Amino acid sequence: MTLFGLGLGIATLFIIGLGFVWVIRGEYYLGYLWWPYVMGLGILLIAASLFVPSVWASALIGVAGASIVWGSTELKEQAVRGEIGWYPFNPNPKPQPPFAEQIKKWPAPHL
Amino acid sequence: MTLNWIGLVAAAATFFGIWFGHVGVRKIEAASPSLWLPTAIAVALGLALEIGALLSGRLYLSGALGIVGMTVLFDALEFTRQHNRVKHGHAPANPNNPRHARLLAEHKSARTTDWLKREPVGHPVDMAKEGAK
Repeated sequence: MTLFGLGLGIATLFIIGLGFVWVIRGEYYLGYLWWPYVMGLGILLIAASLFVPSVWASALIGVAGASIVWGSTELKEQAVRGEIGWYPFNPNPKPQPPFAEQIKKWPAPHL
Repeated sequence: MTLNWIGLVAAAATFFGIWFGHVGVRKIEAASPSLWLPTAIAVALGLALEIGALLSGRLYLSGALGIVGMTVLFDALEFTRQHNRVKHGHAPANPNNPRHARLLAEHKSARTTDWLKREPVGHPVDMAKEGAK
């Protein structure tokens, strides 16, 4: 019997739970246009997990990477939720990411 | 250098779990006349997957089963949460589903349109003024 899967599953729930928090805060302060960079960070983390020798560390980095990729697909809907009043709307100007005008032309992915 | 594939397996299992938790739960909740049946199936499936994770002697399989099993167990709660989203108008109701039809009849906030299917405009939007129901 191995506790690895059960433990990893519980850790995954916490990491996914954190995802809800940073998506809400991230969109509030930065805006949804950062989604390609967030997605890139998640993919980089998953790729980096391949080079981590520790089983637990590699698995947790992979889970965090996947959770961040998912979060990047949630940012646009979170922006809409703020605008229609389901979440607080930040009226302050948000920092524009590099190539913001190009990013605006891309359809933001969503699950 | 030997690559450690457990991270990639864990990432794939996590993404699948989150994807199913979003898309699968939404579709099943919208189609199912009852909440208890999909909830009971998710609990049974989630527990079976966790038992599989405990008994599996293979690390990759144990990890994937543990992650997917835990997200399926969480999905059991999500069916009720999704029902409440429909009640509050935060998710579209399916008028062909008797349970949703009741929500539409009993709660003014329930609606058949998906308010999230729009592009962000950068300022607050009064959906009531826009005539959206």
